[in-house]
Amino acid sequence: MAVYRRSSRTRNIIVVLVLLALTFVTIDARSHGGGVLSEVRSKVSDAFSPLQRATHAALRPIGNFLTGALDYGSLKRENERLRQELAQQQSEAATAQAEQQDAEQVLHNYQLDKGVLGSIPFASVQIIQAGSSNFDNTVTINKGTDAGIAVGQPVLAAGGLVGTVVSTSSRIATVELVSDPNFRVGVSLSGGNTGSAAGAGRLLPMKVDVVSTDHSPPQEQVGQIVVTSGLAMERFPKGIPVGKVSKVVTIPGAIEPEIDLQPVVDPTSISYLDVALWSPQQ
Amino acid sequence: MTDLVRARLRTTVLLIVAVLVETTLGSDLRIAGVAPDFMILVVICAGLTGGTLSGAFVGFWAGLLYDMFLTATPVGLSALTYCLIGAAIGALRTSVLQERKSLLPAAALIGTAAGVLLFVGAGDVLGQTQLLGAGRAWLIRVMIVESLWNAVLALPVGYVYAWVARGSAGAERVGSPVRRTSRSAVPTVK
Repeated sequence: MAVYRRSSRTRNIIVVLVLLALTFVTIDARSHGGGVLSEVRSKVSDAFSPLQRATHAALRPIGNFLTGALDYGSLKRENERLRQELAQQQSEAATAQAEQQDAEQVLHNYQLDKGVLGSIPFASVQIIQAGSSNFDNTVTINKGTDAGIAVGQPVLAAGGLVGTVVSTSSRIATVELVSDPNFRVGVSLSGGNTGSAAGAGRLLPMKVDVVSTDHSPPQEQVGQIVVTSGLAMERFPKGIPVGKVSKVVTIPGAIEPEIDLQPVVDPTSISYLDVALWSPQQ
Repeated sequence: MTDLVRARLRTTVLLIVAVLVETTLGSDLRIAGVAPDFMILVVICAGLTGGTLSGAFVGFWAGLLYDMFLTATPVGLSALTYCLIGAAIGALRTSVLQERKSLLPAAALIGTAAGVLLFVGAGDVLGQTQLLGAGRAWLIRVMIVESLWNAVLALPVGYVYAWVARGSAGAERVGSPVRRTSRSAVPTVK
């Protein structure tokens, strides 16, 4: 009898815990990031951020060592590839420098501006949490609303698009990466075409949906850089490199080709990002 | 302060340390893009040590704490998953699982795989369809790699948990899985 009472109590407690968890899920999902639980989450993240920074700093050498050990083969190949690219780019740099001077002279002569990107201020931030969950394509950065960071601002690294700010608190912010399946960005394609590039998950290329128009289908080449379109109602300014075309497939019978983009920047391999202090109203 | 209260306080501190390690070092330990899950390992240890109720309680609080650091899923989803996994491991421990040297790694392997499936399955049912956005191939990869990762990390984490939970009955079960052979001594309710 005692055993029965004890197991019945255990069952009741588990049912209460499960119902409590389901209630939390329902409340948070229905508030769409603006409810009490999101507020609590934001406060807890803020409170833990100094501890996270300290832990991150303390464990970083161990993490680097283990990452190096686990990825030794791919790092070696990557190193060789980068050396080749560096040699190639050094030779191209001299040519590009001369062309740049010519271009600047032309812009100056015709009094043209340098585009939207040139006029945007940036905030340099450090990644303090690189998305620990395997289903969470976000990173947490070490600056928030106190540094002028707001939801919706584009985030770049090494000149390429990395993601967008999706939540902020006073001292930290969360960036949704381009690899997230919820991420969408309008892109310019050849022949006056536009499309929408969407994330497909960690380590997977982005997929481009070409917007059907009267224009002839885009003729993208593998290796070509695709940039943001910056059309009206777009979340990002024009001209930010999004990805390099990694695959173009034209299915027989289909009008538009299927295009895969390899993001320009791999956010998992860097520690610092730049947040563009820009909003679509600008 | 009794040994049990001290053990509970130490377990709370362990959960905070585990979430800090998970959100900092954890993301650096990726194999094929997949990181281990220290939080579910602690929950599995709690289930093996304290039985059903302990596994459910530690699972709920561990999940709720971890939910505070996840942004793509609603608060409560990890709490739900870990609570059920902790309770299931605890229930199996008291009724089915035999004392063996490989008990902890095996429990970590199976518990983690079940946890990944439950997290994505429950999330999908509760409207979090983006969890399957990367496709089934990614889900299977996460399930396999994360389970293997956790099986490898199970013994060190188990020893830490046994040290932290010392004073509570069954703590040595995780730290020294071969010391006892009887299943009758496993406490179900504390």
